[in-house]
Amino acid sequence: MIMDNLAQYIIDSALFILKGGILTVELYFVTILFSIPLGICFALMKISRYKLLREITGFYTWVFRGTPLLLQLFFTYYGLAVVGITLQPFSAAAITFVVNYTAYLTEIYRAGIESIDRGQHEAAHALNMNYFQTMRRIILPQAVRRTIPPTCNEAINLVKDTALVSVIGMSDLLISAKEIFARDFVIIPFIIAAVIYLVITTVIVYFFRKIEARYSIY
Amino acid sequence: MQMLKAENIIKSFGSHRVLNSVSLEINKGEVIAVIGPSGSGKSTLLRCFNGLEEIDSGMILIENETFSCKEPGMKDTVKHGAKRAMQKKIGMVFQNFNLFPHRTVLENIIEAPVTVNKMNKKEAVQMAELLLEKVGLADKKNSYPSKISGGQKQRVAIARALGMNPDIMLFDEPTSALDPELTGEVLKTMTDLAREKMTMFVVTHEMRFAAEIADRIIFMDDGIILADDKPDKILTSPDHFRIKSFIEKVGQ
Ligand SMILES: Nc1ncnc2c1ncn2[C@@H]1O[C@H](COP(=O)(O)OP(=O)(O)OP(=O)(O)O)[C@@H](O)[C@H]1O
Ligand SMILES: [Mg+2]
Repeated sequence: MIMDNLAQYIIDSALFILKGGILTVELYFVTILFSIPLGICFALMKISRYKLLREITGFYTWVFRGTPLLLQLFFTYYGLAVVGITLQPFSAAAITFVVNYTAYLTEIYRAGIESIDRGQHEAAHALNMNYFQTMRRIILPQAVRRTIPPTCNEAINLVKDTALVSVIGMSDLLISAKEIFARDFVIIPFIIAAVIYLVITTVIVYFFRKIEARYSIY
Repeated sequence: MQMLKAENIIKSFGSHRVLNSVSLEINKGEVIAVIGPSGSGKSTLLRCFNGLEEIDSGMILIENETFSCKEPGMKDTVKHGAKRAMQKKIGMVFQNFNLFPHRTVLENIIEAPVTVNKMNKKEAVQMAELLLEKVGLADKKNSYPSKISGGQKQRVAIARALGMNPDIMLFDEPTSALDPELTGEVLKTMTDLAREKMTMFVVTHEMRFAAEIADRIIFMDDGIILADDKPDKILTSPDHFRIKSFIEKVGQ
């Protein structure tokens, strides 16, 4: 009987916590969807032969990798409101996360692109391929493959970073767990939250492994 | 018939003058072997011919069309687009093959014909298969470069360059990265190509290839062409002691 009650309690709590996490899942996908392609574009800008582009992107990654994500979140949500730009918590979080993660991915992809042997560029040049064809067909496919592991790391960090959104009043998994804790004063909700995080990161790692396997045919 | 002409090419890296007023002519169907000590500017000269290096001054003509024309400190008079169009006539084979590792042998060959020349993919595959047959690698078409030997890689690289239908092929030490027992198959492919009257400009240390296949040997030393003559002349009775001692050294 007690066991039945416990099972029911866990299920109810888990559902409540998961419901709290829905918004952060959306945030997660928005961030991934935008920051990977943007990171590739910015990486290309950061190694472009135009000094201005290099300097702009250099400044950008310097600022956003050099300040806490939490501060950036405050800035977008509270700071911008002061100058008359009010954003919904979700929009503020999405913008901040995309901008922040793009900065990290920019550096990852820059390093990946630069790690490709000069000979690949030269061979493409000798075959009369232009810059765009060379990047798209020759350099980026190889660079992206090499950057799968660090990208996976960022994808896992992102899961954990989404917990920060509670500071701008968004509900998330962790906050919901804390609500249950405050009400019942038991440790179970935190354990449930931990399990959910672990399941999510495991799925992500699995997903990246699959991609890596698909790429490692050569 | 003239294929390529270089006039007074000067090229420096920083304060180091690597090409010091180099002039030469390559006729259609000719095979030229370029020899000379390390650092004499052989690779640099060859790379200037397809735009991998920019010359400081001088002139390069390809089939009597200006490919590059530069006064010291001035801009090249030939526009980038025009250069690219002419560069299509020039194939290149590298010492380190530089095959695309993420593409199969066949895909390596059809890549540029399809993306650059917009060739129909089916036609490109047919052409690639013919080229692979020619270099004796028809059975490797679906292999990735990492799965074939160095000699096979270089033959694929030759087939890949031929896929763009060049009028002249530049080779930069095509056998130097190979184990001795694998150089033969590459040299044979190059010999076949020479027999078909492909114009070839080959930087090499293979004296036998130079002696037997080349129509002319160019000897470079310290940024200049020290000699440009028939193989037997250069190999048996060179005018210059530098050439003599070089040939004695590599001949060992
Ligand atoms: N990108 C570069 N930057 C600076 N110096 C260079 C560069 N490329 C070549 N050099 C220098 O120019 C000189 C000529 O080089 P090059 O590669 O043309 O010689 P090489 O005759 O091909 O020699 P090797 O037989 O060793 O290949 C060398 O001293 C080399 O160090
Ligand atoms: Mg060289």
